[in-house]
Amino acid sequence: MSAAISPLEQMVVVLARDLADGELGAAGAAALVPMAAIALARELHAPNLTVGGEMFFNPEPGRLYPSMLDDRALGRCEAAETFIELFGHSHHGLDFFFHSGLQHDAYGNINLHHVGGTLHAPKVRGPGAANLSYCHTSTRFYICPTLHTTRNFVEKVDFVTIPGHLSGPEAKRVAGLTNEGPRFVVTPRAVLDFDPATLRMRLKSVHAGHTAAEVQRHTGFDLGITQNVPQTPLPTEEELTALRERIDKTGTLRA
Amino acid sequence: MEGQTTLTRRSKVTGLQDAARRARDALRERPDLCLGGLFKQGRPVALVRGLLAVGAKGLHIYSSPGAGYDVDLMIAAGAVEQVFIPGVTLENRLCPNFRSAVEAGQVTAHALDALTVVGGLMASAHGVPFQPIDALRGSDVLKHNPLIREIDCPFSGRRIHAVGPIRPRVTFLHAQEADRWGNLRHLSTMVYADQLMARASDMVIASVDRIVPDEVILDDPSRVTVPSHYVDVVVEVPYGAHPTASFPNYAMDEDHIDAYADLGDAARASDRAGLDAYIARHVTGPKDQKDYIKTVGGAEYLAQLNAEARKG
Repeated sequence: MSAAISPLEQMVVVLARDLADGELGAAGAAALVPMAAIALARELHAPNLTVGGEMFFNPEPGRLYPSMLDDRALGRCEAAETFIELFGHSHHGLDFFFHSGLQHDAYGNINLHHVGGTLHAPKVRGPGAANLSYCHTSTRFYICPTLHTTRNFVEKVDFVTIPGHLSGPEAKRVAGLTNEGPRFVVTPRAVLDFDPATLRMRLKSVHAGHTAAEVQRHTGFDLGITQNVPQTPLPTEEELTALRERIDKTGTLRA
Repeated sequence: MEGQTTLTRRSKVTGLQDAARRARDALRERPDLCLGGLFKQGRPVALVRGLLAVGAKGLHIYSSPGAGYDVDLMIAAGAVEQVFIPGVTLENRLCPNFRSAVEAGQVTAHALDALTVVGGLMASAHGVPFQPIDALRGSDVLKHNPLIREIDCPFSGRRIHAVGPIRPRVTFLHAQEADRWGNLRHLSTMVYADQLMARASDMVIASVDRIVPDEVILDDPSRVTVPSHYVDVVVEVPYGAHPTASFPNYAMDEDHIDAYADLGDAARASDRAGLDAYIARHVTGPKDQKDYIKTVGGAEYLAQLNAEARKG
């Protein structure tokens, strides 16, 4: 593999490694990176991973699409459902799901509604979100925005569309969020996880070509970096081959 | 026998303009309009354009939990007062006119979630006073969502949510096929919330890519997605979902939607001329669907969308 590894490819590999065989999960709204991660996991170590919970089971797309809500992206699939199934999936939960938003904060809360102003008098109105349940009825979820700046990583979101860890363990308990919530965050720059005691975000590793200082500079809150931060493990030859030759033949992740 | 008339079954087929007028008149009684499909798939856009062309105002818009182009267009045309849709986006970019209108306070966009909308449609479809929901926690949406209430579960005693029936006055659906009695066949992979909406609404108006002979329906009844009992009006509209997709017949016209969004972004930055010209050219201008097809590039251009849908 001669071509340089793209930021999105690195994100896909990080996510794929955390998905286990036999699990049930769905990609969410911004589906490009999550679907690639699911496909890579199925290809390499999780052949019994099921994609479901979004009106279809086990799609076989011919290439990567930015949205899964596109019959082309389903290609063929094993079963098609309707929104009637939304209740069952949302209440029973999945093993994993993916989210990203306009703002992400130090506790992994996500805002898709408004930045500045109020809900009904917003400075900037966002798109909102459809499913607000998978974030806590699923065993866990991942945060995977394709940008990482001080504008979308802020100390506190203006509106909690998708609850992450709220303001920490006590707030989660009071709100009845009993599952893991956001397990980690992967961006084009780094992997960030949450301090188990406080549930505050911290820097776990930086991708090749990036530095801890740079990640801190592009994050709107203190990541508490005190020691050397390891580099995110690079994609293996096997991962890159599967990704480029079988999943992303058109090079969407490198565009 | 003299003085007796023999009743025959009534066809529900009519023309686009007649369907739009019937919708407009019904919506004057109660402005709740619901749109089938999801995002860029299976949206009844020709019916939406028809409704805008005959003049509709003050609409309250519902949909399956995600919508984009059509809602944004209705807002651009000044027809919408309130939006009851959890996610409003073009997916690859945000909806420019939706955002501008909400930011300017011209349109109220309620904070909702998918379970509230689908649950409200379920309650209405099933004829029950509410649908319980036990999967909403921790989101600020719950502080603002106007359609839910907290209740005590009569079995567990737990605090849960309830959503009352959502009863659209009119629902627009788009399916690939129907017979003249209004039996709909969605040939697309997903059927979205169309079946729930059909059962939840006072009046259902469906556009279809083509009307098929009765035998097609009778030969394969399990393929019918919405029985005619729930459908009031059927209109045959070739490319009736354009610029959204009607799989497996044609794919979404992403270039068209992107060009529209560029005009919306310009309007958002204060130059509305292009957006107004778009509405005049594609919405209020065309006499009929044939005319509309010419304005968006003609049959040859649209044939590319047919080919794209078949690629898979």
